[in-house]
Amino acid sequence: MYFFEVLAVALIGGSLFFFKETLDYLTRRDYVAALLVMMIGVAVISVGKEMARLALVQRD
Amino acid sequence: MYHRHGPRDLVFPCATVIRVDDAAESNTGRRWKTFADVVAFTLGVNVWISVVILPAAFVGALHGGWRIAVAVLPFAVLLAGLIRRSEAILLGAFPAAVLVPVGLQPQLAEQYVYGPVRFTLVALGLVAYLFGVSFFTTFHEPPAPRSVRGLSSAAQAPASRWMRRERVYWMLVALSVAFPVLLVSWVNYDSTIEDYLGEMYPGRVALMTTALTVGAIVLWLLVYHYVFLGVLRPHRTGDRDLVTALGQARADAKVGRPRGRFYFAVAIALAAMIALVLLHRKG
Repeated sequence: MYFFEVLAVALIGGSLFFFKETLDYLTRRDYVAALLVMMIGVAVISVGKEMARLALVQRD
Repeated sequence: MYHRHGPRDLVFPCATVIRVDDAAESNTGRRWKTFADVVAFTLGVNVWISVVILPAAFVGALHGGWRIAVAVLPFAVLLAGLIRRSEAILLGAFPAAVLVPVGLQPQLAEQYVYGPVRFTLVALGLVAYLFGVSFFTTFHEPPAPRSVRGLSSAAQAPASRWMRRERVYWMLVALSVAFPVLLVSWVNYDSTIEDYLGEMYPGRVALMTTALTVGAIVLWLLVYHYVFLGVLRPHRTGDRDLVTALGQARADAKVGRPRGRFYFAVAIALAAMIALVLLHRKG
């Protein structure tokens, strides 16, 4: 019942971890790693967005 | 002007039929407008004092005519917004005006002025102002009903899909607050990041912290636009005012000619460029 909601929270919240890592790599001047980790964060948050959308449109 | 007095029915789906009086509704509306003005003034003055006046007093930046004039500018904009009851001024021009003194005297926003606790309090004050103005200027309490008749559907519990939608809405609200708070806090107050910046950019820590903060805000705006608004976009069709505004925006876009705000933005950009050139020549 809460499947999509829990997944959405976990994925959108979890993407913060990758954005934090992006900041860490940027401060270490490791720009390539920062870009890669940010792309992973964007991918994770996109999936979270789709899960939230599914939770909104899901019918019983 | 034509005023209609007398009772009329408000029908709430699945709930009740409420008989109201137009005169009572008008009184309630006036009361709400006054309440919204008081809320906007109180919270706006709080933002102005905490972002401009207190830091300026702390760093001693309130000496000289132009400095005082610039410090008073946000308050004048706030008053103008309240007098005109303009959401564009209260939600757009006032926050922008608060940044003018900070932009001219960057020491007002330096790290030693804002510790984590003070930063949190100021951020909460700003969020409270934005929320209070956007909510109370559009919220109208329905007048006290003259009579109430319950409908049979009111006895039923809301459908589970509506409860789920509400949960998702609240989840999105919570995450949309947590995102900028965490990103900005990490950039400015995480000791690991501060250490790395000190090691990698000696002598330029403040500059790089500012650049990272701007980057975090840009990232947050993109995430907000594509993720949080993206999810809710199909649901906006239920808002009649918004749909009308969007229809008008589409019609304007088809005209193929820039609107007034475009020329205004160009004028501001040109003025900023001239100011930049003059500053460089002075420097």
